[in-house]
Amino acid sequence: MKKIFSGLKKKLNRITVKSLVGTVALLVLFTAIVSIAGYRSFTNALMQQYAEDAFKTADVAAAMVDADDIPAYLFSGNTDLEYRLTRQQLRQVCDNSGAFFLYVICPDVTDYWHITFVYSTVSSQSGYTEFEFGYVRETTNEDYRTKYQMLYEGQSGQELVVRDRGYIPSDKHITAMVPLKGSDGATRAILCVQYQMSELDSVRMGFIYKVLLILIIVLILVILIQVFYLHRLLLKPIHTITQEASRFAAENEKAGEPLTHSIRNQDEIGILAGSVDRMEEQVEQYIENLTIATAEKERIQTELNLATSIQSSMLPDQFPAFPGREEFDLYAAMDPAREVGGDFYDYFLIDEDHLCMLIADVSGKGIPAALFMMGSMIILKNMAGTGKSPAQILFDANHAICENNKNDMFVSVWLGILEISTGTLTAANAGHEYPAVCHAGGSFEIFRDKHGLVLGAMPGVKFKDYEITLAPGSRIFVYTDGVPEATDNEKSMFGLDRLIEALNQQLNASPEQILTHVRSAVDRFVKEAEQFDDLTMLCLEYKGKTKV
Amino acid sequence: MTIQTQKQEKQLIVFLEGRLDTNSSPELEEYLKSRIDEIRELVFDFEHLEYISSAGLRVLLAAQKQMNRQGSMIVRNVSEPIREIFDVTGFCDILTIEA
Repeated sequence: MKKIFSGLKKKLNRITVKSLVGTVALLVLFTAIVSIAGYRSFTNALMQQYAEDAFKTADVAAAMVDADDIPAYLFSGNTDLEYRLTRQQLRQVCDNSGAFFLYVICPDVTDYWHITFVYSTVSSQSGYTEFEFGYVRETTNEDYRTKYQMLYEGQSGQELVVRDRGYIPSDKHITAMVPLKGSDGATRAILCVQYQMSELDSVRMGFIYKVLLILIIVLILVILIQVFYLHRLLLKPIHTITQEASRFAAENEKAGEPLTHSIRNQDEIGILAGSVDRMEEQVEQYIENLTIATAEKERIQTELNLATSIQSSMLPDQFPAFPGREEFDLYAAMDPAREVGGDFYDYFLIDEDHLCMLIADVSGKGIPAALFMMGSMIILKNMAGTGKSPAQILFDANHAICENNKNDMFVSVWLGILEISTGTLTAANAGHEYPAVCHAGGSFEIFRDKHGLVLGAMPGVKFKDYEITLAPGSRIFVYTDGVPEATDNEKSMFGLDRLIEALNQQLNASPEQILTHVRSAVDRFVKEAEQFDDLTMLCLEYKGKTKV
Repeated sequence: MTIQTQKQEKQLIVFLEGRLDTNSSPELEEYLKSRIDEIRELVFDFEHLEYISSAGLRVLLAAQKQMNRQGSMIVRNVSEPIREIFDVTGFCDILTIEA
């Protein structure tokens, strides 16, 4: 039972309760208005009926009394046979009419505060006793007093006193009064007929009870209908929608049957159900697309990772680079800003006495640059192996690159060939950054070498070789523009001056230490700023034939 | 970067402001593609250009190649840092640079 009740309570949630409270309040108000209006009109109608009856009885009785005799009775204090006959007649009228009390009085005309009973008859049902002739008592209240006076002074032909409020010793009653006039037209006495209004209360309360009963029945019906209606048209669909929404949130799978199949409301609920259906469809579609996109992204990422690995495996990264060659030490590193970069370096021995080194930077970044870099690197390596001079190598490479370069890509290259036995470095520069050279015992300085155009820009461009003689202990440092153009959060660049400063801080360091040091100087400079360019460096230390 | 142009018959002057780098170069490339087909004289004004990256050089190279076929191209009001970039990359050899 408790379970059913709590279940019901759950279903009769706030919406139901709120709407029921409103309806019940309206019904109660309506009932109150009907009751009050009914009560009033019942009272008025009954009162009128009692008054009519009372006046009719009074008229009948008045015709039986000879008013001219009354002063003589009162004066003498004695009654006669005619009096007794009249009294007998009045008793019959009283009994037959349904009146409780029928009497004739003479008020004390000085202030009307005392009355003297002339005739006094009571109904046998009333249980009252008659007053004796000549009985005097105080006027009951101001209402009676005023009306006695009005009747005596001829201001009205009949008066009515209603006693249905406040404390009344007997039942509620109504008293009709008519003046008894002598042959001269003057009022000699007042005839009063009193009716008990015992039925008034029972009829009025009966009405109220009926109205209340009807109200209760209507209320129960309204509550049942409303609960049913709300449940069927509002709560059940909402419950269904809520269940479906939480199911969908948990499973992320469209329902087998759309909500609009079971919820056919043409109202906001129906619209809501339709919206939930559409939302589920769209979310599912979205999830599907997202899954595809994510899979695609993962695939691309996997390929990029593979590309990164292929690209980095293209660059020699085994150090020491030439174990057993004591005449020189070399170190290089490439750090792409994205997964793949456009920078590259290479070094290899052309023969026992000639070491080729190159560093290059392809225009642009990312995959296009990486693809172009691969091609350029292979071309350059092939050309370099032919034993030509750097300028000639660059000229040939430019020619090869320009042949199939529809996208106007280009690559800047610095290429040097060291004659290991003499320390003579022959180099050429195709639009690449200036090398920094540190002669034995000196410090690093930017070497403003002769520049040619980048490779791939224009066919037939010529380059010039230049020579630097490296004494044992000399170093040469080449780099791509990612180093001097590393940018901090305030958009200022690392620059050549800071590079030279960093290079000169550890003059006796090995090429590997130099690269590490420059890299940390760049990192300190840019701090948290994201870098957009690849960072590539190569450093050679020429030691000469120190050992044989 | 902002691009402003001034056109007089077959001459087009392009004023660049800001940084011509990887991010802004495609914008300039797209911008020029639709405008220089009928042009005989293309002028770049670099007075307010702060920086040019290799991607920007690529756009200039493409424009230079096209203008070699249909007219002439001039780069003017080149600041010292950008002049330096042109020198290093050898672009000063293929571009017509007016100080």
